[in-house]
Amino acid sequence: MRQETVLITNRLGLHARAAARLVRLAGQFQSRIMLSRPDIDRQPADAQSIFGVLLLAAAQGTEIRIEVDGADEEEALAAIVRLIMDKFGED
Amino acid sequence: MRNQRKKTGESRFEGTGVCHGVAIGRAFLVDDPRGRIVRLFLPAEQLEAEIFRFRQAVLIAQQQVQGAIERLQAALGADRAYILEAHLLLLQDRDIGQQIETFIRDNHANAEWAVRDVTATLLTLYAKITDDYLRERGSDIADVSHRLIKILSGSKIYDLNEMASGSIIVADDLLPSVTADLDPQRVLGFVTNAGGWASHTSIMARSLNLPAVVGAGDIASMVRSGETMIIDGATGTVILRPSPETLRFYTDQRERLRQQQRFDIEERELPAVTRDGVEIRLRANIELIEEIDLFQRFNAAGVGLYRSEFLYSNAANGLPTEEEQYEAYRFVAEMSGREGAVVRTFDLGGDKLHLEGYQPERNPALGLRAIRLSLAAPSIFRTQIRAILRAALHPDGHARLKILLPFVSNLDEVRTARAIIEDVARELRAEGTPHASGVPVGIMIEVPAAVILAEPLARESEFLSLGTNDLTQAMLAVDRGNQNVDQIFDPLHPAVLRAINAVAEVARHLGIPLNVCGEMASNPAQVVLLLGMGLTDLSMTPSAIPAIRRLVRSLSLDEARQLASQVLSLTTPREVHQYLAARLAGTGR
Repeated sequence: MRQETVLITNRLGLHARAAARLVRLAGQFQSRIMLSRPDIDRQPADAQSIFGVLLLAAAQGTEIRIEVDGADEEEALAAIVRLIMDKFGED
Repeated sequence: MRNQRKKTGESRFEGTGVCHGVAIGRAFLVDDPRGRIVRLFLPAEQLEAEIFRFRQAVLIAQQQVQGAIERLQAALGADRAYILEAHLLLLQDRDIGQQIETFIRDNHANAEWAVRDVTATLLTLYAKITDDYLRERGSDIADVSHRLIKILSGSKIYDLNEMASGSIIVADDLLPSVTADLDPQRVLGFVTNAGGWASHTSIMARSLNLPAVVGAGDIASMVRSGETMIIDGATGTVILRPSPETLRFYTDQRERLRQQQRFDIEERELPAVTRDGVEIRLRANIELIEEIDLFQRFNAAGVGLYRSEFLYSNAANGLPTEEEQYEAYRFVAEMSGREGAVVRTFDLGGDKLHLEGYQPERNPALGLRAIRLSLAAPSIFRTQIRAILRAALHPDGHARLKILLPFVSNLDEVRTARAIIEDVARELRAEGTPHASGVPVGIMIEVPAAVILAEPLARESEFLSLGTNDLTQAMLAVDRGNQNVDQIFDPLHPAVLRAINAVAEVARHLGIPLNVCGEMASNPAQVVLLLGMGLTDLSMTPSAIPAIRRLVRSLSLDEARQLASQVLSLTTPREVHQYLAARLAGTGR
């Protein structure tokens, strides 16, 4: 299992469009990818479920913890972190 | 999640009974006020087929969204389709799909209900998000939910009378127009979470003589389709899963009431005359042409109020034509006998007609409605007047219809309306179109300004009609459909009683007819007061006539007068209620 915490920096946060990209990307990997917010006490969301990702309600400036577990966990984590750092290709 | 309680014992709820009668039958849940999303309790062997139906609907929805994405991308470029891609992901979401399938299994639910309930729960979670932009995106979920329900229910419109035949309808709320379509021969009754005694849905239940309880709290989430339930429309009691003893008690009660109704019909020929020999006119309020048979069953003295705007709600495309109106008014005129009928001109709001420059209203009750709208859209008013004047012509040469102008707040409105009516009559004469002349024009007293100006208004009209519902609402500045304040809505408030008495004195002084056509005229204690104030012409929902006739026959007008003069001296609503309770106790009123 690998994990990393990243900051959401794009202006609109994890809104529908960004969430859709993230879910699509997560769906390309076999590993189980869970997202959570260290600042609130709620069950981690499955990155392959759009609703879970939307419900994180991660606005700009929110920290997201990514936990990846599975055969391709290394590539998966790197890809997700890159997407978020790239501001989902927005801004 | 809701609806997973598995209670077995009897439970009771109290609401507001709006139409007498006991109904015993199976519950039939209807999930939206238009009656489109019903809640079924499916047999276990149908559940897998229902889940299959749900999955098929999801596939169709995915294809629709995919198609829309491709069209958008072709037209606007790849970037614009992202919102719809979120919809597609929602439709592919395994979590949500599984929640819906579990809901179908656990609740024996139909797919429409499951989709609506699960997405409603998701939306509540979403509504808690504090970031405005992200929270707004909840509309994506609502959008996907609507798409699925639309696919599931197809274009077919549920025929409630068919589906709920032999059952009691349970709903959060029902639209008056849906209630109007219920067939009392098939549907046993209904109970709703929302509503009050004087709401339009309740008025509709009374006119159909359909047992009903409204304002019953959270009843719609406490009952499942198919469970046995009892409603008592007199007391407002709702009983779920009744015990055998309760069931026996209410079966007897239902039989007693049915006998009473037969008795009412036997009494229909008895004159409505007080013990001291004063004849009281008991007329019928009519909304739908179909109610004419009720009116005859109870032997009403003509139609005291025909609410013509219901022609509008029934017309296929917007406003009824002159010929459609003519047919309806002629039918009402023929059926109401020699006493004739009072046609109230459209009491519609401006939102119904697509008027140029019309601004949406925050408070339509005080907005462009009724006479104001008729004068703002004179061509609609002229069409209606043409139809009324033509239909009023009886072979004996007398006018069988009267015109009543609603929501008048000043004399200028009356003069303008009368000028239009005269002009329409001239036009008909010039064309040689047969029509009645001398059709009486009356004014509805339902705005406080009209109470204050009752005398000048009465001098320029042939009759007055007191609309006690709107008058009470306006006098007390209280919205009777608002559950937070509906207990303040009280026709026995001293201000309302004194207003009515003042109008009665004006009518007596000028010798012009005055009719009461609000709900007060069907409430026994309030009728005693009305009679005591000298109001001898009452118009009510037809099913109330037998009880009021019996009351009139048991009463002396002299006693009623004394009672009214005592009550008029009281200064608080509570004093009025306490006084009436003490005086009328034990008399069966």
